[in-house]
Amino acid sequence: MLLRFSPLTVRTWNRFRSIRRGYWSAVILLVMLLLACFAELLANNRAIVVYHDSTLYFPTYGAVIPGRVFGLEYQYETNYRELQNKYTEEGSGNWLLMPIIPYSPYETTVKEGSYPPEPPDLSRSHYLGTDIAGRDISSRLIYGFRIAIFFSLILLIINYAVGIALGCMMGYWGGGFDLIFQRIIEIWSNVPILYVIMIIASIITPNFMLLILIMVLFGWMSMTWYMRTATYKEKERDYVLAARALGASTPRIIFMHILPNAISIVVTFVPFSIVSGISALTSLDYLGFGLPAPTPSWGEMLRQGTDNLHAPWIAISVVAALVLVLTMVTFVGEAVREALDPKKHAIYE
Amino acid sequence: MCMSTNRLKEAFRKTGILIGLISSLTMISSCTNNAEDDQEVDGVNVQTVYVEDLPTYPSKPLPVGLVWETNEDDLVYASPDAKKGGVFRSAMLAFPLTLRVVGPDSNTGLRDLLLGNQFTLTDIHPNTHKIIPALATHWAYGDDGKTVYYKLDTEARWSDGRLVLADDYLFTLDFMRSKFIVAPWYNKHYTEQILEITKYDDYTISITGAIAKPKIDLHYYYGITPTARHFHKLDENWVSNYNWRIEPNTGPYQISKIKKGKYIEFSLKENWWAKDRKFYKNRFNVRSIRLDVIRDVEAAYRHFLKGDLDAFGLTMPSFWHDKAKGDMYDKGYIHKIWFYNDMPRPSEGMYLNQKSELLRDKNIRYGLAHSMNVELMLNTVLRGDYSRLHNLDTGYGDYSNTEIRAREFDLQKADAYFNKAGWVERDEDGIRIKNNRRLSFVVTYGSELHANRLVLLKEEAKKAGVELVLEQLDPAAMYKKEMEKQHEIAWMAWGFGFHPQYWGQFHSDNADIPQTNNITNTKDKILDTLIERFRNSADGKERAALAREIQQYIHDLGVVIPLTTVSYVRSAYWRWVKLPDPPGTKWSDTLFDPTNGDGMMGSTGGLFWIDEQEKARTLEAMKKGEAFEPSTIIDTTYKTQ
Repeated sequence: MLLRFSPLTVRTWNRFRSIRRGYWSAVILLVMLLLACFAELLANNRAIVVYHDSTLYFPTYGAVIPGRVFGLEYQYETNYRELQNKYTEEGSGNWLLMPIIPYSPYETTVKEGSYPPEPPDLSRSHYLGTDIAGRDISSRLIYGFRIAIFFSLILLIINYAVGIALGCMMGYWGGGFDLIFQRIIEIWSNVPILYVIMIIASIITPNFMLLILIMVLFGWMSMTWYMRTATYKEKERDYVLAARALGASTPRIIFMHILPNAISIVVTFVPFSIVSGISALTSLDYLGFGLPAPTPSWGEMLRQGTDNLHAPWIAISVVAALVLVLTMVTFVGEAVREALDPKKHAIYE
Repeated sequence: MCMSTNRLKEAFRKTGILIGLISSLTMISSCTNNAEDDQEVDGVNVQTVYVEDLPTYPSKPLPVGLVWETNEDDLVYASPDAKKGGVFRSAMLAFPLTLRVVGPDSNTGLRDLLLGNQFTLTDIHPNTHKIIPALATHWAYGDDGKTVYYKLDTEARWSDGRLVLADDYLFTLDFMRSKFIVAPWYNKHYTEQILEITKYDDYTISITGAIAKPKIDLHYYYGITPTARHFHKLDENWVSNYNWRIEPNTGPYQISKIKKGKYIEFSLKENWWAKDRKFYKNRFNVRSIRLDVIRDVEAAYRHFLKGDLDAFGLTMPSFWHDKAKGDMYDKGYIHKIWFYNDMPRPSEGMYLNQKSELLRDKNIRYGLAHSMNVELMLNTVLRGDYSRLHNLDTGYGDYSNTEIRAREFDLQKADAYFNKAGWVERDEDGIRIKNNRRLSFVVTYGSELHANRLVLLKEEAKKAGVELVLEQLDPAAMYKKEMEKQHEIAWMAWGFGFHPQYWGQFHSDNADIPQTNNITNTKDKILDTLIERFRNSADGKERAALAREIQQYIHDLGVVIPLTTVSYVRSAYWRWVKLPDPPGTKWSDTLFDPTNGDGMMGSTGGLFWIDEQEKARTLEAMKKGEAFEPSTIIDTTYKTQ
């Protein structure tokens, strides 16, 4: 069965599509997100397919395949780039297919007679060069993007879930509950989050989930204000009264009636929250208080870039990537805001 | 000459930047509580008297027949061209947690500067390695082989103007033995090693150590610093009361200004008592020393290029090769120097804590050593500038076993050792597993500049089926963790002493208790015996042989994986900073220490000076864009290999 959207939604969607800049940014971002999910097939030191002695191997996902399996002399993970060279030399009919970027974000590659960082070198498939530890920048950029965008999305979902729920309750119940939470939020908003993270990071090394947890702990407040106001407004409407008269429970009224009508506020904020999520992680990593080494991260690369201005390819790559992604998300945000602008299509009767 | 092994030295402190220890708490208090933290102190007129009844000690008659010695013959190494004046501006990476030099959290980067201004009875000439006068003018030896008699300099004064008397030395013993200072190492050392200090009159004392030693060792190990008895009121609140009190000292500089979390300023004393003494003349030339907190090495370097700092350590390859380039160097405003020294090397290594069940297995320790691709690290991120440290105690002459070779990166050997320990299976990541446990270790380190080295080792170690989890902590947090023996593998470097010492780091007396230096938690009966024999021997030759044997034994235990070493110091400095010729001494591990040096390795500091006319001329020329001759000095006067 086809999903049937309300005419209002269709109109919003068409309006969004008509804003080309935002629409195409959204398409590109979604494609990037999808590709990032399969980053292992794009940038990896493991081959995508290996054909060895009439058997096909797919090393990308799953366990490490030791070199012995492919007739090499070592037991640690196969170096597929060397294996490829070996196959070419032997001409035995064995073959393998490497990803476009044949480097993992962690491995150090060394060129004889020189020291990292190396400038971009197409012949060695280092499209954007290497960083100061000899790791491929393009590979680190891709994995760094995946971490940043998922960090930002998870952060957003949790922040919004808490913020919306609390905001709606404050708006719906009002009174003492509202008053108390308003004060709590005001106080809580004044905790300097950067200091808190810095202090925690200097005592323990934060990991992905812990960092999200800390950010949520101090970041859920902003959404509550908007939802509180929206709920206050909506709850006075006739349909809420009608629902209440029909005997609907409080959660049902909030989530089935009020929230769908207030959702446009939430949606317009999403892209900007993503931007702030990425920026927060990047700046924390830049300052050295984010995810631990050797996690591929844009902030850490940015730091390397600014510390090593004699190797401009590091800074240029990461700055370009950051500007590109953040601009595109902002374009999407603008388009969403435009599409949901009540002045354009809301009908009050 | 103060306690030598009891100190943690960050490897890159040797680059000339002083690392203090960061304090999150100080950081906050400095944001919120400025008014109270401002502590301005005028020169030497500091309130230093906290004690009402000064402790005095009885005196005994001096034995007859002592042969007094002194040393006014060795060559001076300061330059007669040195000029007084100027401010030497330097940086520390973090503000220290305390101004105390003993007790909790006192092992800070600032400690070197504080101790550089606390003179000892005698110094060691950094080129001839002979004893030279400091607070004592003459010395004589007792017949028992463990007593040294000292005639004190009658003009020596504390920074508050009081005379330094024999009682101040006797008080040192009470002070260091006191439980109130919460310093177990010192308590023990001043009880078990320094047995007695005797007063003969206000300016004559003797010190008796526990065991007979070669003459020069007596000075080094039993020589002490006086402690101002009018300053220290020893009670259970001593540690907290004395965190931020400025202790009277005997050296050329005293703290004159402090802003917590921001900076510390030292000023040269007017009419310092030793300013015309032979070995101190023409040294300690700058009028004041200003240490700003710059929490990042890169930022510090930018400040240096702007002219906010006078000198900057370039020992790290990336600095010397890549960053120390450009206009400022080409136009000769900033000079570079590569100075080879000839001295003991810090023991940089991965210290394996045997509190961890896995690391108690010798096969795992050996396997781990063979899994560390230090060679690749040297040839890539370190650009071949450093070399492999084979023996933890390198550069001690006779006392160093030069036959020890560090375990090399060898996957077959690693494999054999891990298999022997029963770690044969590998999981899907290629990491060895046994009983559902991964062969994984947390490496704790304290400087992001070392992250690249570790990242490389981590990737290479995977080949051997070992996982290294990297844990970068703030230097203070790292130090705390290691002193509490909570780490698995500590990536760190110990400073060095006159001779290697083993009791603190490897004797079972110091294992399994916090706040001692045995961070590998080594408990080995045979090693204990060797260390005790080493400590108790008075014969230089025997001691050297024992040291070599102990080094071999520690190597066989495999509790430390030695890392890298450098035989030089490299710096950049503005052209108005002048150096003598030769620019340093055999034992100089930095050319820009403004104080006497921390007293561990001779009296090496304070040789440079600032030419204020030259500074004005340079600044003027920079404004006009005029260039000078660029300068890169490579000084091999003391190069050994």
